[in-house]
Amino acid sequence: MLKKSNLRFELLMDAGNGAQKAGDILIKAFAKKGVFVFIEPIIPAEISPPKRTPFSLSGAVIRLSDNDITNIGSSSDYVLVEHEILLERRLQDQEFSDNCTIFLDLGSKKRAHDAYEAVEKKAADAGYTVIPFSISEDAEAIIKSLNGNGKNMYYLGVLARLFNVDREFLISFIEQTFKKLPKDKLESNIEIFNHGFDDNLIPDDQTIMLSEAVHETEKVLLDGNTALALGIIDSGIRFFSGYPITPASSIMHSLARLMPSYGGVLHQAEDEISAIGAVIGSYFGGVPAITATSGPGLSLKQEFIGLSVASEIPCIVVDVQRGGPSTGLPTRTEQTDLFAAIYGSHGDSPKVVISVANVDDCFYVPHVARYIAEVCRLPVIILSDYMISVSYRVVDRLKQSQLEDVNDIDDFVLDHFYMNRLPDTIEMVKENQDAPGIPDKMRRVTGLNTGVTGAIEYSADSNQRAHEVRSKKIHAIRHALKTPERFGHEKGDLLIVGWGSSRGAISEAVQSLNDAGHKVGGLHFKMVYPLPLNLREIFDSYTHVVTVEMAYGDALKSTPFSMMLRSETLCNVTCLISESKGRPLKPVYLIEKSLAFLKEVQHV
Amino acid sequence: MSNKETLNSITMKDLKSSDPRWCTGCGDYTILVGLRKFMVQHQISRENTVNISGIGCSGRIPHYMNTYGIHSIHGRAVPVALGVALARPELKLFIHSGDGDSLSIGGNHLLHGIKKNFNCVYLLFDNQIYGLTKSQTSPTTRQGLPTQTHPSGSFIEPINPIAFALGAGASFVATTAEWMGNHFVDTLDAAFRHPGFSFVHIAQRCPKFNPSAWNFQDSSWLTFLTNEDEGITADLKAAPDAGIKEHSPRSVQDAMAISELVPNVFGLIYKDEKPMYDKLLLDGVKAHKKAQLDSLLDPYVI
Repeated sequence: MLKKSNLRFELLMDAGNGAQKAGDILIKAFAKKGVFVFIEPIIPAEISPPKRTPFSLSGAVIRLSDNDITNIGSSSDYVLVEHEILLERRLQDQEFSDNCTIFLDLGSKKRAHDAYEAVEKKAADAGYTVIPFSISEDAEAIIKSLNGNGKNMYYLGVLARLFNVDREFLISFIEQTFKKLPKDKLESNIEIFNHGFDDNLIPDDQTIMLSEAVHETEKVLLDGNTALALGIIDSGIRFFSGYPITPASSIMHSLARLMPSYGGVLHQAEDEISAIGAVIGSYFGGVPAITATSGPGLSLKQEFIGLSVASEIPCIVVDVQRGGPSTGLPTRTEQTDLFAAIYGSHGDSPKVVISVANVDDCFYVPHVARYIAEVCRLPVIILSDYMISVSYRVVDRLKQSQLEDVNDIDDFVLDHFYMNRLPDTIEMVKENQDAPGIPDKMRRVTGLNTGVTGAIEYSADSNQRAHEVRSKKIHAIRHALKTPERFGHEKGDLLIVGWGSSRGAISEAVQSLNDAGHKVGGLHFKMVYPLPLNLREIFDSYTHVVTVEMAYGDALKSTPFSMMLRSETLCNVTCLISESKGRPLKPVYLIEKSLAFLKEVQHV
Repeated sequence: MSNKETLNSITMKDLKSSDPRWCTGCGDYTILVGLRKFMVQHQISRENTVNISGIGCSGRIPHYMNTYGIHSIHGRAVPVALGVALARPELKLFIHSGDGDSLSIGGNHLLHGIKKNFNCVYLLFDNQIYGLTKSQTSPTTRQGLPTQTHPSGSFIEPINPIAFALGAGASFVATTAEWMGNHFVDTLDAAFRHPGFSFVHIAQRCPKFNPSAWNFQDSSWLTFLTNEDEGITADLKAAPDAGIKEHSPRSVQDAMAISELVPNVFGLIYKDEKPMYDKLLLDGVKAHKKAQLDSLLDPYVI
């Protein structure tokens, strides 16, 4: 039995065969035992692509540790894969550790002998240990009786055995997950699981024991989109309007279930534009409202975002970023909507953009978004991304605010976003901002320029004033921002800067680099627009400042965040990692690149 | 009338806001006056009324009505109105939209607004031209009319707004003309009383860019649709030479047949009580078993 405190494994199957289901059952069992988990599902953009093709790659990447984990890590130590085509496809991503062990199901070898031989050789040549196995005849017979379903349960059995998970304990999670299945089907699934568990495919001395801890505080297991949906409820937002789009839809699905239980309304609109229009209508009526979308939807919503700016009707938009441009990579991750969010909509339309890095942020961000949107009466855009939206994590039970009046926002929520309270009075373009129903407060809002009374004005001074007032709202937020989260050395040779989901990789890489004696610091932004006023001071404490972004850049093309930091600080910020591969940032890669950079600038 | 009622009663003056800026002779003036007249006649509370518009000459109506109002973006008054309706179901909503705003850029929203049948009065200002952008072909421009975008004349058949509304499953479809004051106010009244999405098509003059669209000086070309039980009274004061035709607004087949006579017929074309999205949705929320916020995270505890 091998003792481990940290490892990553993945289960790869054809789409529709239940790899994520098996992964979910396994992580629930681990989480319950006190192991920290981080799971990233691999999902094709199509629903059921033809099986036994590279397009069918589906699965769950799972990182386990006895310490809190902030990211999915760099590479997998164990892989269980259904057939040779998926292995061939996944080998291309270069995410297996040097000493990776691959369990390869030989079920299809009869019909693809040569392909199997080739991929086994390829994996062996790369230094990986390939352990071929076959599903036992007894298990195959049950799978056949279930019309080919249930293979995932066999694999679950193999994995449970590999990780020394107690049989009965795991079966309780299978029962919980499949509670809606007819009894005979559930029993068949458990039987298949038992075969996988009992077939002893892995010698005892090679099984793994993870250190189990007792959680001292109450923990919850959540993915980003669910956390965001729950945060929306807790923040007092009672109207959600949306249009289906990957990877934001699951926020709408959760709220369809949750909203009515808390007296809120879930409206599925006829298109992306209509969805934000209804949000603006609801906010005009005095009911806090939000919509969620992804890149293509953000493009469509831009005109209404401008109306929110001009008319001073608040609105909140969540953008769960995916790969772009256009339809791009619907089920992969990227950080390339930054400029569309900050500088989107025509004219000069100042707004606020807040990013999230993990499950905690997702839960608290609706509170702070509502606070800013309502106090400043402007649009707030929340930037999440695919990786955050689908990744599960174990976190301390989140502290609820049960927010009603935004002025009662909890300090810990503002602290979480490195922000102070806003001034009590912020000047508005228009004086009267009441919701309908109040006599003698009747008012009209418009996208046209207006003066203090709300009447249309085209005069030079009036338009200049409106721009000034709107910009000063942003300045008020700028002044309220504290120094963002810092890691490692507070001065030194290199500062690694990022925003949103790069937080985990930055914190882990900076820790490693510091442990190795390098004078490196990290800086992570949740609020990405506006930025705090003391950045130059921070940047000046390091010889070099670099960003890491999941966005394309090269010698002639700066990445969005580095471009923004340069323009705001006039400091020489370059991009260290500018990747657009659709995969999350790997801490190991960040360490390698940092060391190479330091070597190049002769600090090492 | 008691003193209290006198004190609180709404007058034409109370409904005035800033001064309109339309061209002389524009039909929007009579629509504005007609809307105010209707609100005075029925004493509709100003603070519980929201006028919502898109963009175009019609889009300016909210600015001139001393009620609550939203002058939104081009073609998209319907979603904003639906947001208000779901947030504040007690409010009275009037949507103002031109032929381009309704049937070109806003076509999808109009389709779904009609289908959802949420409670509002929808006024389609049809002058058969883009006015505020200066004379481009609109979806209702008559074939052959020279415009800035089709100098040799528009060459496709216009959209029939009535057939569109009926086809989308509207629960209330009426057509009127702004220069027939009594007919216009009576139509608004019928639309306002109808629960659901009340679609009102309004023939509207644009003396600047499309004076030939509606011949308001002659009435021999038009026919009023009337019905003993629930029609809109023929306005023979405004249109003395008009014909009168008995029409049952309860038959969708008859309504479809009549829609072929548009734009030469005026009156209540179709009416039926249909399920309302806003009511169904909000009743569903009301009836739903409520949960405690304290237990929000319980299902996720491990």
